[in-house]
Amino acid sequence: MNVLPARTSSVRVGRRRLSRDERLGYLLILPSLGAVFVIVTIPFVLVVIQSISSEDGTLIGLRNFTRALANPLLYDAIRATAEYTVLVLPVEILLGLSFALLVHRTVLRPGLRAAIYVLAILPLVVPPVAIGVVARLIYAPGYGVLNVILERLGLMHQEVNWLGDPTLAMLAVASVDVWQWTPFVYLVLFSGLQTVPRESVEAAQIDGANWWAQFRYIDLAYLRPLFVLIIFFRLADVLRVFDHVFILTGGGPGTTTQLLSLYMYRVEFKFFDAGQAAALAVLVLVSFSLLYSLISRALPLERA
Amino acid sequence: MQSITRREFVKRTALAGALLTPIPAILEACSTGTPTTTKTTKLTIAAVQGAEDGPLKKVAPMYQSQSGITMEIVEFPYDQLFEKLVTTFQANGSSYDLCMMDDPWMPKFGTMGALQPLDSNFGFTRDSDIPSIVYDVGTWPPPHGPVPPSEQGKSQHLYGITIVGNVEMFMYRKDLATTAPSSWDDVLANAMKFNKPNFYGYVIRGKATNPASSDSLPILWSFGGDIFDTSWKVMLDSTESIDAITFLTQSLKKYAEPGAANIDAADRDRLIAIGQAFQSTTWPAEVTGVVEAQGVSQVIGKMAYIPIPKGPGGKGLGMMGNWLLGIPKGSKNGSAAADFIKWLIKSDNMKTYVQNGGIPTRTSLLNDPTLGQANPYFPALAQSLAAQPNWRPRTDQWNAVETIYGTAVNQAVAGLKSPKDALTAAAAQVRTAMKQAGYPS
Repeated sequence: MNVLPARTSSVRVGRRRLSRDERLGYLLILPSLGAVFVIVTIPFVLVVIQSISSEDGTLIGLRNFTRALANPLLYDAIRATAEYTVLVLPVEILLGLSFALLVHRTVLRPGLRAAIYVLAILPLVVPPVAIGVVARLIYAPGYGVLNVILERLGLMHQEVNWLGDPTLAMLAVASVDVWQWTPFVYLVLFSGLQTVPRESVEAAQIDGANWWAQFRYIDLAYLRPLFVLIIFFRLADVLRVFDHVFILTGGGPGTTTQLLSLYMYRVEFKFFDAGQAAALAVLVLVSFSLLYSLISRALPLERA
Repeated sequence: MQSITRREFVKRTALAGALLTPIPAILEACSTGTPTTTKTTKLTIAAVQGAEDGPLKKVAPMYQSQSGITMEIVEFPYDQLFEKLVTTFQANGSSYDLCMMDDPWMPKFGTMGALQPLDSNFGFTRDSDIPSIVYDVGTWPPPHGPVPPSEQGKSQHLYGITIVGNVEMFMYRKDLATTAPSSWDDVLANAMKFNKPNFYGYVIRGKATNPASSDSLPILWSFGGDIFDTSWKVMLDSTESIDAITFLTQSLKKYAEPGAANIDAADRDRLIAIGQAFQSTTWPAEVTGVVEAQGVSQVIGKMAYIPIPKGPGGKGLGMMGNWLLGIPKGSKNGSAAADFIKWLIKSDNMKTYVQNGGIPTRTSLLNDPTLGQANPYFPALAQSLAAQPNWRPRTDQWNAVETIYGTAVNQAVAGLKSPKDALTAAAAQVRTAMKQAGYPS
């Protein structure tokens, strides 16, 4: 047997030399790593530095964090964000799952499925600002479409103050989120349902499994990792919610709908307190990283 | 020709890409920072999108044809313009040669040293046809009232020239009430008298932060209340301040539109324009844009405009909301930009500007009967300017203070807190914010 010599020279790395292919691989991923470094790592390091600096750049330790945590408005914002999350996440998951199961089991014509698919994508591609403006036309005091419809149907005789009452205002801003993001949940879960093997379902049906049993013991097993994915994405989105809340209520009445994103925007761009805003950003990043790690432990990403 | 493998081709392409990518940035970096000595060919104006910059857009082409300088107007919504200007100034950017500024922004920009002085650099002097308060509002540090601690002792300069002479006024239905309300008690009496189902005696612009703040400040001042005294002591929880906000959020609110806590200027104008409300405070742009706009309003000719009514102390204080033009420090075309401002405020050119929807500052134009016919609020605006309206506190912390105060008023309008509780909490927050910013509190 002939032993072929190495085609090219190699470089020593530790005890092993990198092959030509490996070097090419590293070379090719270098631009991507560079981009991640520039776009993610450098800003993060700058935010951390800003969070421990005063306005003139002097290092002041954790003073910005102390100020951020001592501000009662932060806890109002956390409470509002928690309420918003608790409202929108379960509703979106339940509605999305219901639609996915309904379409999966009852709509069999490919053309109709494609049409529903397109309809589901539409809310996701509409700019949040436009959605906020439309929602304001629905809920606004005086000329809101919803009040007009309810009045004409005889369901109410006095105008409902959708955006001025604390509870209703939160429901109004949450409803916009539900409208925009339930289709996302539907699309993810519907694609998950497509991966359920037909044979397993047929075998269960032959064994007499009813609708619920099929869902619980077969479908759900395939959908579980997707729920984690949905919770991951939606939690990140809830933290970024801004536009429609800003347009609908401006965080009011009072601070009842002032979510974390809106609060942080105000600290940075209204209070111009860059140190406190940076401290808040670091706090949010760290606490949500911990939360994400707990979620991923609680729900296995891949089935065993 | 030597052939290469596909792998080698990919490798060389990647290397070439990596080497060539920064070239445009390097060239750009080399080109900036070198001041140009050539004649100015273009002026870029950062402007606020809406009624305020509409007339400017109409007259800028006239200047372009006269001077040969291309005028580019870059528009931003209100909030984004402020953020854009602050970040541009922080970077000493040269993107804009002129910028439109709301007058409460002057303290921030003055403290930052972001603008070029118009008097010492470009020879601007005061014109007797323009009220002195209009020049004062563009001067930093402020010629009267408390001066921020960091700015005390600095020499005063003119940094901005008003091009939109906004002052908050009062409007009411003159076809229904025969006499104008002279005091807030009259306003309340009229609200009670004319209030009926689907017709509101008063409109409160009560949406959180800026709207609630702007709507309530003239009442606060007219009642003798204030946000700060002359030594920056917080006065929001004074008896006068609490009385003023109680008057607005309890007495007047009884006759106000439902959902007042979510009403902004556009909603207020709609209620007035469709004939569903009797009276409210107003800004000139709301009058021209909606209330007196042909094809939009049902109350054209039915509204009267007057200065802000008097409070218990016998004084009514309007609020300035001037829009100014300034020249950013980073601009390399300062001289040409100053020439444009001088051209714009010349009497003839300002008249053309007014004929295109502009709000003047010249007393002669405000009292011009021909212009007054098309702009029924001009006499009230002239009176308001002559009466030395208040400006919002001249502090670079104003945005923070306004957010806190405007949220507190909104809470009181929504009934979430009593006026006293809302203002007491707001006063404590303002004290903390001001103390952190180095003010005595």
